[in-house]
Amino acid sequence: MAHYTTDEPVYALATPFSPSALAVLRASGDGVTKLFAPFFTGRLLSAPSSSAVHGFIVDGTGERIDEVMVIRYGKGHGYTSEEAFEIMCHGSLPVIRRISRLLEECGIREALPGEFTYRAFMHGRMDLTEAEAVEEIVSSKTERGASDALFRLTGSIHSEAEKAKDSILDILASLEVQLDYGEDEIPEEWEFPSERVDPICSRLLSIAATYSSSRLWSDGALVVIAGRTNAGKSSLFNVLLKQNRAIVSPVEGTTRDYIEADAVIAGIPVHLFDTAGLRDTEESIEAEGIRRTEDLMEKADLIVYVIDPSSGDVPPDDSRVLAVYSRLDLTGSDGSLAFSSVTGEGMDQVIDAIAKRLTDGLDACTGVPRIDSERQRDALIAASDALKDAEQSMQFGYDVVAMYLQSALSSLADLTGETTGEDVLDRLFSSFCLGK
Amino acid sequence: MRDYDAIVIGGGHAGIEAALALSREGFPTLLITQSLDAIGRMSCNPSIGGLAKGNLVREIDALGGEMGRLADSAMIQMRLLNRRRGPAVQAPRAQEDKFSYSRKAKETLEKEPHLSLFMDTVTDLLVEDGAVIGVVTERGWSISARTVVLTTGTFMDGRIFIGEYEAPCGRLAEAAAIGLGDSLRRLGFHTGRMKTGTPARVLLSSLDLNRMEVQEGDSPMSAFSFETESIDRPSLPCYVTYTNETTHRIIRDNIHRSPLYGGKIIGRGPRYCPSIEDKVVRFPDRERHQIFVEPEGIGSEEMYLNGLSSSLPEDVQHAFIHSIPGLEHAQIMRPAYAVEYDYLDPLDLYPSLESKILANLFIAGQTNGTSGYEEAAAQGLVAGLNAAERLKGNRPFILSRTESYIGVLIDDLVTKGTKEPYRMFTSRAEYRLSLRHDTADQRLTAKGYALGLVSKDRMDRLDRKNETIAAVKDVLRSVRVGAKSAYDVLKEPDKDIMALGIPALEAFPSSVLTEAELDIRYEGYISRQERELEKARKAENLEIPADFDYDSVDGISSESKEKLKAIRPLSIGQAGRISGVRVSDIAVLAVAVRSVRRG
Repeated sequence: MAHYTTDEPVYALATPFSPSALAVLRASGDGVTKLFAPFFTGRLLSAPSSSAVHGFIVDGTGERIDEVMVIRYGKGHGYTSEEAFEIMCHGSLPVIRRISRLLEECGIREALPGEFTYRAFMHGRMDLTEAEAVEEIVSSKTERGASDALFRLTGSIHSEAEKAKDSILDILASLEVQLDYGEDEIPEEWEFPSERVDPICSRLLSIAATYSSSRLWSDGALVVIAGRTNAGKSSLFNVLLKQNRAIVSPVEGTTRDYIEADAVIAGIPVHLFDTAGLRDTEESIEAEGIRRTEDLMEKADLIVYVIDPSSGDVPPDDSRVLAVYSRLDLTGSDGSLAFSSVTGEGMDQVIDAIAKRLTDGLDACTGVPRIDSERQRDALIAASDALKDAEQSMQFGYDVVAMYLQSALSSLADLTGETTGEDVLDRLFSSFCLGK
Repeated sequence: MRDYDAIVIGGGHAGIEAALALSREGFPTLLITQSLDAIGRMSCNPSIGGLAKGNLVREIDALGGEMGRLADSAMIQMRLLNRRRGPAVQAPRAQEDKFSYSRKAKETLEKEPHLSLFMDTVTDLLVEDGAVIGVVTERGWSISARTVVLTTGTFMDGRIFIGEYEAPCGRLAEAAAIGLGDSLRRLGFHTGRMKTGTPARVLLSSLDLNRMEVQEGDSPMSAFSFETESIDRPSLPCYVTYTNETTHRIIRDNIHRSPLYGGKIIGRGPRYCPSIEDKVVRFPDRERHQIFVEPEGIGSEEMYLNGLSSSLPEDVQHAFIHSIPGLEHAQIMRPAYAVEYDYLDPLDLYPSLESKILANLFIAGQTNGTSGYEEAAAQGLVAGLNAAERLKGNRPFILSRTESYIGVLIDDLVTKGTKEPYRMFTSRAEYRLSLRHDTADQRLTAKGYALGLVSKDRMDRLDRKNETIAAVKDVLRSVRVGAKSAYDVLKEPDKDIMALGIPALEAFPSSVLTEAELDIRYEGYISRQERELEKARKAENLEIPADFDYDSVDGISSESKEKLKAIRPLSIGQAGRISGVRVSDIAVLAVAVRSVRRG
């Protein structure tokens, strides 16, 4: 599990994770520039502190990822007072993700919420108050709902990881017995249980492979807000966008065509459509709008169907439909989703439900649960690599094999965000009869 | 003016180390024991060391403690365990002549100029302004001291059980220490009950050794102490036999007569060393359990039945022992018994083993909820060293998890507490590849020297040894084997430095060659851990004042706050190991601590 540290190389996206003209990624820590320099065409290492260098970020094969400006900070100069740099890149989500992935491959881990401010404070930046530093850590903890969803595990991934952890813990316990009890007490030789480990590896790798094929993460999900006229669709759209993009008025049929926007909902990139209200109409322009709405609904990954509770409308019978009631004050307490466009009440639940439906839908498509972040993919690959290293170390000694098994466990703990629930010794004592 | 600088209560393995550390540093010290004839007694198995425990003994020795030398002087068999399973988890284990061991321990204490021995039972502590200032004994003495080290083992309100029989004892027929537990509870100490047990001792000449397997030791014997040049001691065999279905049936038929199963014993026993009735009940599918028959000493007929600890009545013990091959006619000299005793919650201790409840009181050994002679001695040494640092007015001496098993042991105890008698296991140490038994001197002797417990001579010898190891590595770098240097060849699995046949190495002692070989072999793996180690060290260096006011910090969850207030960690590293405290809470704490230091 990552902890708040100082000097260890970390990076963070300083701008919101949403499509925009420009994005800024910051990195900080001992030797951080040197770790990154091989993947940047500009002359970064020789650049003076606080100067900007132009160049391309390239991946390991030399392929260009983006044209960027990098500002280099020597120790004592940047925000954290550590050696640091800032990348200004184009603000498209795939670019941000590729650069983040590259930084992780360089050995720079993602910073925890508020960690940059934490470091600045710990390094004695006197212009920062304790309160500010604490505020940043604590508020980002609650705000994490948004950023954290990027790394949220769907239920099925979580249980897959727990299953793998459990098997590895069993194997580790059977090995630790040999390390913690002498050969006179446990004379049996230990053999590497390839028949148990190999399936774990292939399972972990096939889950890891879903990352690149996940359309949700490469293209974003298509989410359509639909419903009768004046049901409150535009209000929902606006709250979701957090800006007054669509016109909200009490006159029926205001939104005659659809309005499209890129948004990030609970960390998931989404193409969001606010559509014309569905009703029978004679007017040709509006009828055209309704036809287009129906087209969009055909293609949608998710249809958020907004209902005014006083209208008596019922949601269409479609598995992609998520029914949401507007005007919270009018709904009963039957547990259905509802929000108030005036107070914003209920919006958290609506956002959670949207995120859940989008990710659940993906899982249902295939036998393998999907993951949706580099971090998850890397953790899975690291766990699988460690298991293979364990097998290859058999010649070397059980002590090294055990170290790799431990490291596989801790990679999976990084994935689930929990350290191993059960101690290896607990497992050992419950499975083996020991003690002379 | 106080009577002594330090009083050590108890003359077991913890008390011995504490008393020697204090007196050898020149502080007038009094050791009070209930029985001068029981100093350094091995109450249970006649052996010292073993996996992880052997590392503890070598670490004690490297710091200037006594256990390694005592064990070397009384051993009657030595084995290096786990030779083939991985060099980083190898460890020495010796069978000991427990009579010689105890006698030698007493003589060592007697010879120490600044140490006095006194036989009495401590029943209360003298307290002034939240600090201990002396002790009160059963025979009415009030003795004052600037520091007190408490090492009462299993004697505090100890109670032994043999089937229906029970008696207030710490060991069989040795009176429990009554009163001290009540006094401590009155002073606000948190106590609990734990349970442990020991098997029967049988007469050697009544055994049929032909029906058992023979287990010989290593030859030549290797030493625990880095100071012992060679060991010239007799090597006695142990014997191995097995229980069978009849044994198990007898135990099952009588299980209702066990105080463990009848509910008379409430204390928690160790899972790693269960009684035979526990093994039979919990693992009903096992056809047999291994029993080691071990000599208790040279010239003694008493043999220890390792693996048969029990609290069943004596008639049942007779029956099941006689069902075992080789033991059909065994004459039982001492019965197996269980002992239940008070322990003090180690969460009430700082990592220096000083009590959070009473200043200048240090607590070590089985009293803290541990088991084992080695675990006790390691704590005794650390408690003694810290009492001495207190007398000198110095900061506490704390070993970290990254540099020693002793550090792991104490950190576990004071940060996580324990629910069962705590025993050291290699798997408790995250960095065990760096904690090899043969490198204890390199890890710790300089610290022992800085504290004043290790002589200049010994430090010089270590420097010379390190130069020799460096010289061996230089030779290996310069000699080529095929396309590679000998140094790089040794990084491959299954390569043996002796088998390389390098003439320039012939002059070096084999222990030095082996150490160089293992250093090289693990180099890559240890550097893998180096970054983690560095992070751990940094977190350890971020100190939290002992009187830190957690309530003044906003932003820490109330659940974490309660835990932090209960344990009062001394560093951010320690705080991070408290179970269930969130990462972000630790970060907020670090900010607050930093802020206090600045303010």
